[in-house]
This record gives sequence, C-alpha cells and structure tokens, in this order.
Amino acid sequence: MAGQKKLTVVISQHQGKNPVKRQLEEELAMAFMLDPEIEVSIVPNLYDLSHDHSGLLFLQGIQGDVVVLSWLFPRATQWILDRTGVKGKAGTVFLVGEEDEEDEDQDEAEQKNPDAIGTLDVPDRLIYSIDLRASTDAQEFLDEIRRIVDVTSTETVDLMSWIQGEPKKEQLERYLNPQEILGIGNSDTGSVATGSIAEVEAEEKVRRRWYPVIDYDRCTNCMECIDFCLFGVYGVDALDRILVEAQDSCKKGCPACSRVCPENAIVFPQHKTPAIAGSAGEVAGLKIDLSQLFGGGNAVEMAARERDIELVRDGRDAVGMAVGIPKRQADSCGVRDELDDLIDGLDDLDL
Amino acid sequence: MAEDLVFMMGKYEARVPTDCLYSKSHLWLRQDGLRYHVGFTAYSVRLLQDVYFLDWSVDSGVQVFEKQEIGEVESSKALSTLYAPFDGRIAEFNELLLDDPSGINTDGYGNGWLFTFETDAEPLTPEQYLEVLEGGWEKTQNMLKGQVN
Repeated sequence: MAGQKKLTVVISQHQGKNPVKRQLEEELAMAFMLDPEIEVSIVPNLYDLSHDHSGLLFLQGIQGDVVVLSWLFPRATQWILDRTGVKGKAGTVFLVGEEDEEDEDQDEAEQKNPDAIGTLDVPDRLIYSIDLRASTDAQEFLDEIRRIVDVTSTETVDLMSWIQGEPKKEQLERYLNPQEILGIGNSDTGSVATGSIAEVEAEEKVRRRWYPVIDYDRCTNCMECIDFCLFGVYGVDALDRILVEAQDSCKKGCPACSRVCPENAIVFPQHKTPAIAGSAGEVAGLKIDLSQLFGGGNAVEMAARERDIELVRDGRDAVGMAVGIPKRQADSCGVRDELDDLIDGLDDLDL
Repeated sequence: MAEDLVFMMGKYEARVPTDCLYSKSHLWLRQDGLRYHVGFTAYSVRLLQDVYFLDWSVDSGVQVFEKQEIGEVESSKALSTLYAPFDGRIAEFNELLLDDPSGINTDGYGNGWLFTFETDAEPLTPEQYLEVLEGGWEKTQNMLKGQVN
C-alpha cells in the first residue's frame, strides 16, 4: 500500500507583500504541515506562474484530490488551472466569502451555460478552489479543509485503480520518493517549498502577468473575442475550440475582450471589477456597477476605447467601433413591470 | 435663489439646484471664479447610497478628456469608475473626502464636492439636466434591474 492517502493542499501566494495576507498564508501552512493527513505546498500566485515554473510543474504532477487556496475568485482559480492542464471536477466548498454567498444557491443551476462547450479530458478527481479572502480567520479555513479531508478520505477507489493499473512515471517517482511532494528541504523543487516563505521568493523570480482566462462552463465558442482582440491573444485548437493562445501578447490592464464576451466567460483574475475578475454572480452578485451611468458608455464602447488606447500605445491606429464589434447590439433588458419600486427596493436588497 | 427643480426617482425626490450646471454623467458643476466645483448630483448619490471609498487615478493639475477614467467610487450598494465630465483640467481634488467620503452623502451639493475643474465646455442647464433625467430614467431602471436580477 502506498500508505495513507493524503490530501494535497496548495497555497497560492498573494502577489503583493501585504503582511496580513502573508501571515494568514504562513499560519495555514504551519497548521497543515502538522497535519498527518495533509500535504501542503506553497506556490507563488497561480496566475503569474509561467508554463515552465516548477510550481506549475508540481501542480500538474498532483494526482488525486487537491485543495487550492488562493487570493482569487474560485472561478478564476479553477480556469487558470484548467488552462495549464490541471483539471478536475470542482469540489464543493462551503467556505465562501460574503460577496459570493448570495449566489451560492444559484451557482449550481446557473454556472453552466447549456450551450457552453465545456472543458475536455477532465479526470475523475476533485479540485477544491478556496478564496483566501473568504475569511480573515485562519480557523475557518482549517475547519473547512478538515471537512474536505474527511470527505475525500472516504474515497479510496481512485487510489486502488492506479495501484492496480500502470502508474505514470511521476506517480511512481512520488511513491518511491515521498519527500519530493512534500518539498521539504529539497532545493530542486524550486519555489515549491513548505519551509520558509522567504525561500519561495528567492528561488524563482515570478513577474506579474496579465492575460484572459476562459471559463469553458460559460463559453459557447462564439469567437467574438478572437474577432475583437487585435493583439493575437486568442487562437483555436485542433478541434476549433477557442483558446488563449498567446497569453503574454495581452495588454496589461486591458480587459476589453471580457466586456465584449456575450457569456461573461472571460476572466481577468486581477481586474478590480469582481465581475471581470471571476466572481461567481452574474454581475459579481454584490454591487451594482454604475459606470455606465457616470459616463462609461456601454460595455462594447468601453471595450473599443480600451482597445484603442492599447493600439495607439503600440504605434498602431485606433479603430474605434469599426473592427470586430459584435453584431449583437442587444440593449434588451427584458420585461418591465414594477420598476418604480426598484429604486425604493434597493434599500431592502441585502447585497 | 430659485427653488430647486425636483426629479422623482420612484418616491424619492432628487433635487436639482438651479444654481448649478450639470453633466450628462450626473455631476453638478458650480462656477467659482474661473473654475467649477464638481460633485455628485442627488440622483447619483441616491443610486450610490453610502459612499465609503473614493479613489482618483489621475493627479490633480492634469488635462483630461471627456469620458477619460479618472477614478473609482464604491458605496454600500454600488461601485463605479468615474469619468471626466468634459474635456478640461482637474485643478484640485477635495482632500477631505479621501479620508472620509461621507460628505458626499451628507452635503452632496456643498462640502461633498469632488474636485475643481476648468473647462471651456458648456455644461447643461438645470432644465436640460432634468430632461436628461426624465429621458434616461427608464433605461437606468432597466440597467439596474438587469444587474440586480
């Protein structure tokens, strides 16, 4: 037997050096290290990991269920991982931030667009994405992970199947050399270390990145993003499915394609607007965005303007609304009924 | 001083003082020498409700163009990017609000001013602004409804 099956917990660090956030990360890491049923690893902010970063290679090597704690909306975490080939079914997390809580009930029902193309080759394992902003109390995270440990430890079928089957090379490797996963005191695991967090930073420089992440549970492959983006970020795979092909061709700070996406399927995890950063709700479910009212124009105009700024910065000509603008010009907000109550009702909305 | 104009937002009376000029983006501009003091109209404040965060992304003294992003506002119910109301120059921001933006709620047409602004543009008259409000009310409600649902 490979011994007791452990749950892998990965902590994705915050980009900044905010001491409060660092402290929560460290506190959790310490607690997990002491837990015999948990293997913990720390990686720099998931979103920033380049394809050859050891942290990413480590994540790709994890078999079985995994919990990922990050300072990102769970949707963002899920699809960043998906893009890098770390796939699995989304595990149910009970610890969600206040902001997302509202939508919890509708999540299951509404997350998936029936026309969405979905992701491919999803192995039978669970990935639990937890937003570290969901609480400031470390204990709440520990309780939640404990709960997940209990849930996952009852499933042993998976383990048996690979023992009887043909284990992959890296599986065998880990089986023979368990320290490798733990990453303790092993310098060639790079920044995957459970030891000191300072070590993590020294090992491999991670620069901040900026690129779109597609939520395939929403994406319908309509291709409006590829038509709109003039920087060659998008491409299609062998099956003609849209994908973010050239991540680093994306223009830092520009979220324009996410605004033109009719399904709200494009996530920029570091964008300040929750709806764009991957909050679960339709409009982040939490706050009303009044930008349109205060002169922002509609989303498509805004996107065209943002794109123009980047084009000009690149020494190209602004194209305004002339290129790649979605044909849909839907301003259809559906039926109108007791709308006058709406503003008065805002007070009662427990947003 | 003439009596304020009033726009009914449902049951709420949004005041439109006649000693101000306005922008379509729901800001008031009150002339003060060569500059205008600029702030949120009662209509905007009503939609925002309790403002608790205000941040400017441009420095004072800079030239801005109409609809340029200049900052962010966040309230108990809403958030928004803020945009320059016209081409012009932002002379100075109201420093007091940066520490405590509650002035926007308590004295929106007075101490709750956001910044001073120099522009050659011709802002809307109170009557014109009222027309904007009347014309846009349905759309605004639809937009809100679209987001709330």
